Amino acid sequence: MVASIGEISAPAGRRRAARQNGGALGLALVAPAFGLMILLILLPACRSLLGTIFPDGAALPSLKSYQTFFADTRSVSNLLFTIQVTVVTLAILLTIGLTLALYLRFSQSRFVGAIQIIALFPLFVPGIVISFALIRFIGPTGLVATTLHVLGISGYQTPYLHPSGAIIGLVWENIPLTIMLLTAGLAQISNSSIEAARDVGAGWFRILSQIILPQLTRSIVVAASLNFLGIFGSFTVPYILGPAAPQMMSIFMQNTFSERHDSGVAETQAAVTFLVCLLVGVIYTACVFRDTARNGKAG
Amino acid sequence: MTTEISRRIFLQSAAASVTLPFFVSGVHAADRTVIDVMTDGDTNVTDWWTNTLAPMFEKANPDLSLNVVITRANGSNDVVGQRVVAAMQAKTDPKVDYFEEFDPRRVPGAAESGAFEPVDTKKIPNLALVNPGSIEIPQDIPYRASQVLLAYNSAVVSPQDVPKTWADLIAWIKGHPGQFIYCRPDKGGSGAYMVTRAIHEVNNRDFSLFKADNFDADVAKKRFAGAWDILKDIEPYLYDKGSYPAGNNPTLQLFAGGAVSMITAWSDQSLQGISQGALPDTTKLAQLQDLPFCGGYAFSSIPSQAAHKDAAFKLANFMLTPPVQEQMLKDFGAFPSIEWSNLSPDLAAKYKDVVSTKMPSFPGGQWSAALNDGWYSNVATHTVRG
Repeated sequence: MVASIGEISAPAGRRRAARQNGGALGLALVAPAFGLMILLILLPACRSLLGTIFPDGAALPSLKSYQTFFADTRSVSNLLFTIQVTVVTLAILLTIGLTLALYLRFSQSRFVGAIQIIALFPLFVPGIVISFALIRFIGPTGLVATTLHVLGISGYQTPYLHPSGAIIGLVWENIPLTIMLLTAGLAQISNSSIEAARDVGAGWFRILSQIILPQLTRSIVVAASLNFLGIFGSFTVPYILGPAAPQMMSIFMQNTFSERHDSGVAETQAAVTFLVCLLVGVIYTACVFRDTARNGKAG
Repeated sequence: MTTEISRRIFLQSAAASVTLPFFVSGVHAADRTVIDVMTDGDTNVTDWWTNTLAPMFEKANPDLSLNVVITRANGSNDVVGQRVVAAMQAKTDPKVDYFEEFDPRRVPGAAESGAFEPVDTKKIPNLALVNPGSIEIPQDIPYRASQVLLAYNSAVVSPQDVPKTWADLIAWIKGHPGQFIYCRPDKGGSGAYMVTRAIHEVNNRDFSLFKADNFDADVAKKRFAGAWDILKDIEPYLYDKGSYPAGNNPTLQLFAGGAVSMITAWSDQSLQGISQGALPDTTKLAQLQDLPFCGGYAFSSIPSQAAHKDAAFKLANFMLTPPVQEQMLKDFGAFPSIEWSNLSPDLAAKYKDVVSTKMPSFPGGQWSAALNDGWYSNVATHTVRG
């Protein structure tokens, strides 16, 4: 916004020069970080990817390692399981996150501060701690089971060591990030637009669906994609709370790499994981760029 | 003025802290030979060495003292072991006199390098008391052991039902659905050795078939196949129809909470759990009598270039005396490496259910990698359950 005020007052030529200077300085500032990223992340990733296509110095590219991956039922079921856990966790996360974020944004209650602190609390607890704490909480003889027993409710099926155990742990772990992203998005929605809608007689559902959600799309996409990447690669929580089989890809890769010492197969697993994440990364980047471009034009 | 005072206080406290050790120790430090001991064991082991063993040893040997160095956070004894090999090549003092636990085979080439002292009963007389099967290479000093066994809740399992053989165990599991569990074999030895026991069972209980240097993928497949059938067969009768926990501790946790009434567990972890109250006092231990579960020894070793080698021999000999072996058993559940017949009859009687004359083993490396992979491919294959 400050820039747009400057643009209005500055003559066109000076403006362009300033932008070019600023551009060069900006590039110089990001160059070391960008270089490091290429050196430490992109190059090794490309090498690994090429390694899966050209196995052991073969001259011709071959997709054999991928064929093996997709022909192996264990690999495929692990991949599908990872996608399934990620999608379900994401749906629960967004539902809880959106509800809480809307409450935090619009409620006048004096509990808002307390709820915000509780919602951000998981940020400060390491995953391994929460995993063991959750065993005690949702485990077969944990607090939930004993409380239900006291209340006379029987037939409690513990989620511990089931996929639902991993999902509960992952939701708990990722709530803070979701809430922070969504509250930041909600903060940009002006009260006046909502009041204007209310003045012309819009109900809460109409305000939500036609005023709030359209302006929040970007935050939701960002929250969804960042969480997707985090959950897809999560290790500790599903490792301790989830079932022995199927496994999340991260655990599967670790097993293949450090137990079976089969680095070629682990590389293929990593490449498949990477490609799934790349897809989400593209959606995220497209969304951020589209918005930046639109804002740029508007400014 | 303030700087004056703080400087004075600083000088006084510095002087006090320098002289403090002389007051505390009583004996002048220069009169004692200090044995540098490297340990990377778990906290229970390192605490015991620092707080229990060191005073015991120093009381028995007033001219010697122990400097227990915990290397857990600094790359463990493997790194120190590499340094010892390097010191051997440079013919210098490795600054290490004793490894609490280091098998030279942990660092490739270390055993052959001559950097570690081969020991015998001349150097360490009490080696004569040690279980003869436990010494695999002459540089190893087996000083404690631990073995996987069955832990059960005696409030639920009646004494006559406690399994004594593998067949008993399978029958008990099938007769008590949901009451037994073992952990994933790659996440904890207590689970791995349950799987290993099944493998031994289908190979005429001949554990000598599996050696560190005779791995063959096809042979492994053939010898493991029967075990997968057994383990897959009992899966529906396990806790939560086969919800395998991710390690020794989560398994003990399920047991302690009463979710299951029998598990496979490490001897030291369960004995310590019982004595500290982490496991219910109705917890009892048992060992299979037809062929026990696998176990292993902790090996001490002494660098051949150590500056205080004679003192290190004395320490090794002290570790193998019956009182020290009994103390370890009482304090942190470590099984003795010397024969049980050397311990007090009361103690031997107390542990008679878990004592076994045999300690089968299963090689690490490729064999156990094949075991883990086979287990995931053949046993824990269930599709997603809620």
